[in-house]
Amino acid sequence: MYAIEVNNLKKYYPKKIPFPFRKVEWIEAVKGISFKVKKGELFGFLGPNGAGKTTTIKMLTTLLEPTDGSARILGYDIRENTREIRRRINLVAEGERTLYWRLSGYENLKYFARIYYVSKEEERERIESLLKLVGLWEKRNDLVMNYSRGMKQRLAIAKALVNDPKVLFLDEPTLGLDVQSSIFVREFVRKLVDEQGKTVLLTTHYMAEAEQLCDRIAIIDHGKIIALDTPDNLKKLVMNEDAVEIRLKGNVPEETPWRLAIVERDMESNVTVLRGPVDEEELSKVVEWLVRRKAKIISVEQKEPTLEDVFIRLTGRGLRD
Amino acid sequence: MILSAVVEKEFRMFFRYPLRVISSILVGIVFLLQFVFFGQAVLGGRYSALLEVSTGMGDYPTYALIGYVLWWVSVSPMEAYVWGVRRELQRGTFEMNILSPAKIVELLSGLAISWLLMDSVLMMIVFAIGVVIFAIPLTLLIILKSLPIVVASLIAFLGFGFVFAGLVMMLKNIGPFAQIFEFAMLFFSGVFFPLNVMPKAMIAFSKLFPLTHAAAVVRGLFVGKGYLEVWGEVAWLLVLIPVYWGIGYLIFKWAERITRVIGYGGY
Repeated sequence: MYAIEVNNLKKYYPKKIPFPFRKVEWIEAVKGISFKVKKGELFGFLGPNGAGKTTTIKMLTTLLEPTDGSARILGYDIRENTREIRRRINLVAEGERTLYWRLSGYENLKYFARIYYVSKEEERERIESLLKLVGLWEKRNDLVMNYSRGMKQRLAIAKALVNDPKVLFLDEPTLGLDVQSSIFVREFVRKLVDEQGKTVLLTTHYMAEAEQLCDRIAIIDHGKIIALDTPDNLKKLVMNEDAVEIRLKGNVPEETPWRLAIVERDMESNVTVLRGPVDEEELSKVVEWLVRRKAKIISVEQKEPTLEDVFIRLTGRGLRD
Repeated sequence: MILSAVVEKEFRMFFRYPLRVISSILVGIVFLLQFVFFGQAVLGGRYSALLEVSTGMGDYPTYALIGYVLWWVSVSPMEAYVWGVRRELQRGTFEMNILSPAKIVELLSGLAISWLLMDSVLMMIVFAIGVVIFAIPLTLLIILKSLPIVVASLIAFLGFGFVFAGLVMMLKNIGPFAQIFEFAMLFFSGVFFPLNVMPKAMIAFSKLFPLTHAAAVVRGLFVGKGYLEVWGEVAWLLVLIPVYWGIGYLIFKWAERITRVIGYGGY
């Protein structure tokens, strides 16, 4: 039995609330995806914003009704067995506003332990061990509003472990975190899989995170899975292509040449990074093309292929386009 | 267990913000005072023979205080559903609650009961201040006799509040709509003026509000009547309770179904 089995899952959102007798147009957010996640696997969903990652997670965690298709979590159907699933899973949702800021860290965990039916005898011990595990035991009585963003995320993870879930969903768990906190979260998640045997499905649009953490990755774009394999196998798709990274300052041509895609844009320094498979012969033509369009080139570098290149190869766009 | 967890959480957060407690009491008193003084100004004093003929109670401050306190307690479950759920949506914590194996009805009832308890504490303070300011003749027996009616009225609105819980989940912001209903209740239940001054159609419509009957019963008990003398109003109240629960349940279930399609997401 797989931890997660998804079969042709679809989700269409109505543009307006579907009141009776109202004609409603539908937006296709997830267009029929299928995949399986083994028990004890760390499975990644990599894709740009709006690709359908969060919608998929919401369907699998029973928060959203799928439009079509089916999915099973630990053998339970997401439509029929919502309560059985909810007892066995948990979610670290995107953003920092998933906790009660006017409660302390300890009070937050106590509340969630209770609504997950953790027994009184276990409650205290579990909260203490979780707070120690995420390094917040000393701050347990401080109100969450006084926590830093990294501390809030650590508490959100502790909260998601309060029912000792078999399957854990993490939606962009390092979004907006500082480097130190991101490293903590990544290492912690990897340990949950390696040491506690939990199954983890995480979404991210950070390719390094997906590459470093995940056993297998599904690349999702426009509601469809366009590739699914281990990070190494995915990178084999672009192994024979030279990845070139070009840094530009100031204005960037509206259309980028060849298969170059914008992968980074720093508004503060006004620097844009283009990346894509460009061989030696093409490179001088690319540079000439950019110069003709008055682009100010800061640097041109040859790089090792990454998942970003796989995404560019498959979609013609960068992850953050 | 779920109910007590929600109540404990809401109490902790509510009383960590003392300004809200103080402002609720002040607003409650100011609202009451202005209506009582306005009523007395129109009636030409505290006592009105006309009021006594039409309602059986001639003392206007007592009349107004009973209606007002009952109205406040009755709207509190609706306020809880509307603002309680909305606050959870704004915080981003609503989905985290839905994700738990706890039943949504238990979670929402916990919210409503928390607010009801907090409002009851505030209302008792306002009531006590009103009793002192207007020297309301009050005995322990009257209070004890009135309690079952207050509870019955509350139960009716606790069920009806699910209409608003469902709508706020689905539409996210229905505060103004809920306020229209709350003030319609204030108007049609004879809180500050006797119903017989209204046109016949409006009087008939007012019978559909449990508060109309609850206020009539409690006022009857205050002037020394027994339950047998006000049984007609009690019967109305008892009939309306299942009707209000039924409407609440059906609309909530419909709204919940739609919400699972569009998502519980917050703001």
